[in-house]
Amino acid sequence: MLVAASISLAAREEAIHSQQALQQAEAQTDVLAGSVSAALAFNDKPAMHQYLAALMRNPQVAAAGIYGPQGRQLAVQTHLGADPPPEVLIPGDTMRTLGRVVVARPVIEQGQALGTAYLQTTPDTLAGFAARHTALVILTGLALLLLSFVTRAASRLARANARLSEEMKARAAAEEAFRQSQKLEALGQLTGGIAHDFNNLLQAIYGAFELVLGKAEDPKTVRRWARNGLEAAERGASLTRQLLAFSRQQKLETKPVVVAEALQRMGDLLARTLGPNVQLVFDLDTDRLTAMSDPTQIELAVMNLAVNARDAMPGGGQLTVRTRRVRIEGDAVLPPGWYLELQVADTGEGMAPHVMDRAFDPFFTTKALGKGTGLGLAQVYGVARQAGGDARIGDNPGGGAAVTLLLREAPAPAEAAAVSGPAAAPTTAAAPATVLLVDDDDAVRGVVRGGLEMRGFTVLDASSGEAALTMTADVAPQIAVIDYAMPGMDGAETAERLRQRLPRLPIILASGHADTAAVERALGGSATVLRKPFDINALSDAVTRLLAAA
Amino acid sequence: MGTDSRLRGWAAAFALAFVALPAQAADAPTPVEVKADYVAKLAPFVVWPAAVFAAPAAPLVLCVQADDAFAALLDKLTTGQSVGAHPVVVRKTPRLGADSGCQIAYVAGSPAQTPAAALKAVDGQPVLTVTDTDSDTGAKGIVNLVAVDGRVRFVIDAARATQSGLTISSKLLALAADVKR
Repeated sequence: MLVAASISLAAREEAIHSQQALQQAEAQTDVLAGSVSAALAFNDKPAMHQYLAALMRNPQVAAAGIYGPQGRQLAVQTHLGADPPPEVLIPGDTMRTLGRVVVARPVIEQGQALGTAYLQTTPDTLAGFAARHTALVILTGLALLLLSFVTRAASRLARANARLSEEMKARAAAEEAFRQSQKLEALGQLTGGIAHDFNNLLQAIYGAFELVLGKAEDPKTVRRWARNGLEAAERGASLTRQLLAFSRQQKLETKPVVVAEALQRMGDLLARTLGPNVQLVFDLDTDRLTAMSDPTQIELAVMNLAVNARDAMPGGGQLTVRTRRVRIEGDAVLPPGWYLELQVADTGEGMAPHVMDRAFDPFFTTKALGKGTGLGLAQVYGVARQAGGDARIGDNPGGGAAVTLLLREAPAPAEAAAVSGPAAAPTTAAAPATVLLVDDDDAVRGVVRGGLEMRGFTVLDASSGEAALTMTADVAPQIAVIDYAMPGMDGAETAERLRQRLPRLPIILASGHADTAAVERALGGSATVLRKPFDINALSDAVTRLLAAA
Repeated sequence: MGTDSRLRGWAAAFALAFVALPAQAADAPTPVEVKADYVAKLAPFVVWPAAVFAAPAAPLVLCVQADDAFAALLDKLTTGQSVGAHPVVVRKTPRLGADSGCQIAYVAGSPAQTPAAALKAVDGQPVLTVTDTDSDTGAKGIVNLVAVDGRVRFVIDAARATQSGLTISSKLLALAADVKR
């Protein structure tokens, strides 16, 4: 189309050019005719030649001549290469032969025809033609070149775009994996300390039971040591709950987070991360200040900061976690408004200015090779930015470093449902009912059985799903308590098979799995899930509730 | 178009030139014929005051004070000619006067009037007087035909033309052998 347009343009231009050439030749002939009339009338050949010579200076004129009234040639001048003008000229119209114009105009003075002026233009040379159209040809060529370039660029762009979206997808997946690995890394760092803590807890429980065994005949002592053991077990349970919550693999989900509550939930884990030499001080707001974030990410950020602080205080110190509401105005980065300030300050050695400058850079670390990835503070920064805020490092007025997260305040979520704690008092004597207990762990099965029997239930226990099914061929229990994770037939399958036989059987699944929602989904909502570790009161409450509902 | 065709063109031109020369020589006009022709052709290059012509198509009168042969020659040359809307009329005028009604007067003298007297008779009138005298002392018209290098040329007295109310075309002035201003 472009070529067609340029050709038509060229043709138009050519037509205009030839029209112009014609008009020009006619005008020049008219000038000659007008000026030569007297010379013609008085047959003044020198004068005629003067007029012709003047005209011939125009390079466009190849030949010119003056003819008498009878068409007789009087004076003629030609350039080399011109067609010789005719000897006798019959005055006629303008002629146009291949590339050249021949014009014959009558010389008339006051109505008297005196003769004829003749003019022949130089033929239009190829060079002239080319010169006229070079610009157009070049422009057309350029346009075509540009067009092909643009087309190629566009397709390249499309390809690049496709590649980019592929890369973005891959990157999103990688980021997801990376976040998970960050958590695992933090856990890895904790493992040593946590194992030590667990050993301590187990030591307490172990010791308590030894003492109970040793003083079995003294109920007062037994009760005291049993309580001690129970407390230690509860601490352990709380710790594993936090670890599980922390390591839970789930999608990054931004929602209103009451930061102080999230921090309080991880109190134990934090304290254990810091170790006995570092005192943890919470200075949290009581206004349920809320930020738009992912709770796990907030926890991970504080955990990262705590680990850094711990490493900065090898000789011990104090870690203060503070939340409060601040008003930001005229900040270079943040728009003015109310923000939630989450500050983690230590009393360690502080941070050198050059370290402070780069602290948030990914992979920047001051730790020894293999000790840190340099991603901790980068994660902290990421959380802050994601919550519409910023992260800043400064000095703790009490010595040491302070990292401050400024999170844009969000409207508080609806009041969370009250978390049910362990029942305050043991429930006494429920209606006598038969409970089918399935658990592959003999110890757990024994303890739970004891607990249930203490509450007045008759207990049938089985160490596997298969055994439970065999058992129920003869006896029909009123309720079943089944462990979820078992070798062979798992809890979900056992529950399903039992249901086939006893469709209205209430079932409680006990699971140590972090994601109870996943377990519930696997069961299609037909069973109650009890999170392990549970205390006997919680279990017997659940059993009593389900029996009442049945 | 090949070279041979161009050569042929040149050859034809040469042949024509040789053939044409004797022919032209035979046809060459005599000096008298040339002069008559000149007189006949002056009119288109002169503008008279509008009042000179009684009507838009009134004739342009060319008065001749010369021998009959010259008058006849002029008559023949101007037959069917007109200048603008004015047909050219040749009138023999042995005695020229202010009331002769001439626009052009060829003054060569007659038994009735010397050239000087004739010129004097129309002096200051819008009449283009034409004389043919080579002598320095002779009476000369506004246009005086002279021979220069064997060719008939003319001298124009532009000052007198202006006095007479005539406008002479610059084209004619350009051809003049001399112009008196």
